[in-house]
Amino acid sequence: MNLRYRNNIKVMGEGPSTLIFSHGFGCDQSMWRYLVDHFTSRFKIVLYDLVGSGQSDIGAYDREKYSSLMGYAHDLGEIVDHFATGEVILVGHSVSAMIGVLLDRLCPGKIAAHVMIGPSPCYIDSDDYVGGFKLEDIQSLLDTLDSNYLGWSSNMAPVIMGAPGQPALGEELTNSFCRTDPEIAKQFARVTFMSDNRKDVAGLVTPTLILQSTDDFIAPIAVGEYLHAVLPNSTLSLVANVGHCPHMSAPSACSEAMDSFLTLRAGADVD
Amino acid sequence: MSTDAPPGPDSQTLFEGAPCGLVVTQEDGTILLANLTFCCWIGFDACSLIGRRFQDLLTIGGRIFHQTHWAPLMRMQGSVAEVKLDLVHKDKHCVTMLLNGVRRENADGAFFELALFTISDRDKYERELLSSRKVAEGLLHEKTVAETALQLAQSELKIAYEKAERRASFAEQMVAIVSHDLKTPLTAIKMASDMLTRDELSAKQFKMLGHISQSAGRAERMIADLLDFTLARVGRGIAVTPAPVDLHTLVSLSVDELRVAFPAANLQHQCNGSGIAYIDADRVQQVIGNLVANSVAYGDLKQPIIITSSCEEHQTIVSVRNQGAIIPESLMATLFEPMIRGTNDRNARSVGLGLFIVREIARSHGGNVTVRSNTEEGTTFEVFFPQIQS
Repeated sequence: MNLRYRNNIKVMGEGPSTLIFSHGFGCDQSMWRYLVDHFTSRFKIVLYDLVGSGQSDIGAYDREKYSSLMGYAHDLGEIVDHFATGEVILVGHSVSAMIGVLLDRLCPGKIAAHVMIGPSPCYIDSDDYVGGFKLEDIQSLLDTLDSNYLGWSSNMAPVIMGAPGQPALGEELTNSFCRTDPEIAKQFARVTFMSDNRKDVAGLVTPTLILQSTDDFIAPIAVGEYLHAVLPNSTLSLVANVGHCPHMSAPSACSEAMDSFLTLRAGADVD
Repeated sequence: MSTDAPPGPDSQTLFEGAPCGLVVTQEDGTILLANLTFCCWIGFDACSLIGRRFQDLLTIGGRIFHQTHWAPLMRMQGSVAEVKLDLVHKDKHCVTMLLNGVRRENADGAFFELALFTISDRDKYERELLSSRKVAEGLLHEKTVAETALQLAQSELKIAYEKAERRASFAEQMVAIVSHDLKTPLTAIKMASDMLTRDELSAKQFKMLGHISQSAGRAERMIADLLDFTLARVGRGIAVTPAPVDLHTLVSLSVDELRVAFPAANLQHQCNGSGIAYIDADRVQQVIGNLVANSVAYGDLKQPIIITSSCEEHQTIVSVRNQGAIIPESLMATLFEPMIRGTNDRNARSVGLGLFIVREIARSHGGNVTVRSNTEEGTTFEVFFPQIQS
């Protein structure tokens, strides 16, 4: 099996350790565009698309395998083994932060540190936990996905208006960004928003930076605080940002927080 | 001046009254401007909209979709088109809208300009399409499940069929072997007792030889019955070889032979019509023999047993009627099943295979057998053979 093709892997940058960027639900690796350049001079960078997203090999999508996040965690493990050198720091957005946690639990030591952007171990509220959503909210999302994919043919993005000022960029992105087979999108949405990884995060000692937006509808501050409380070696860093993608809308705040976390780690290793 | 076209509306009027909703927000979704059309559709006035976030007007599903899909798209591509969203009206009902948006930068920063169109009717239509598709997918799924079940059933059937075939061919081999091995000693017994009758015998010896001969004959018939039963039940059925036969002659011959076998009975043969039947003569003789034996065993021997042969246009009928005790109603349903006997009298007959074999022979001809039993008419078995010309 060709991993590079399956996960549309892009390798760049140079450095003694590797940053693997793993995107969240709804997008693909191009969302890292605003953040990656900042690190290429100091780190080896690995970008990839989750199977079923972006320009990954749709033929590799197996409903059985990807019926839980564990399927994605196995893939990530293979990518670490084949493409990473030195210490591995996983930068995971949203659901990918949990994919990283699952891999860490599966193969302790494979990931040296986590940078979690807008993570949530569980989206649905329960008696003693606030995730921000109710079960019917997730059904509402699936309905919205259903009606938005209705007019699309199975593997075509919606018609996108030209991007003023950046026509070339617009054209390029139309072909990959948010391009998903509707059936895969629905299953991924269900797997993402129905997952409960609270047992997996509890007590995980791997050093972790939690990048929490000050106003994130999908991962509210309470969820970031919950994670900070259950991850003993975690740092909670609040980023002034509205929305679920601070790495896109507030990239410099994110890279600053990451820099200090990574510098501290480098110092700790020297000791 | 008067020939010029009338001046169009000024831009403010155009903005407020445009036939679509127009909204301008900051990058984080905070509403800066909303036109009258949008305000009317959503039920809020412009003052109460300004300062709120556009995404807060959406359903929860729409807000997640906004965060995971079109907000990143707006930032990366600078535009989105044809995004379908449910907005929540001030009265809490949903208003479905289609959204086009563009990100525009100027000296003061970046803004999102949104144009929205209500699409309630189209939404209804699309939902119908969607539910039809779900129904179709459900049906497809059911079909797949049914096909899988069918395949499974077919393979099970195939296995069962192969098993039955193996059993049938084993039974047939067994029948061939047994019939040879059992008949040979019986034939020897019969021949030996025949030869002994030619000698000078005492009355007692003669009587005993008669017993030997009769018993050997009975054993022979029982073996034949058992072998037929095995063929019918386990094998591929009783084989018949139909050929053109003069029906009345055949039946008359049978009755003559049966008179010798059952000297106590009064057997009468009646003929209806005339013609050639297409039947297996030996097997039909066996049918008549079994039915007459049945009548002798259960009927009133003081009254005649009537054997009728009828040639009709499309079928040949052979019937046997006797008087005497009628067949109880409770027995009618299972009369032709093997091992069923008319009474519990153990001496009445051997194992109850006679009527079963009659039915199987009739069926092997493509025919059937029926029975009527009442006090007026007595008991009548009728065997039908279709008039098939090969």
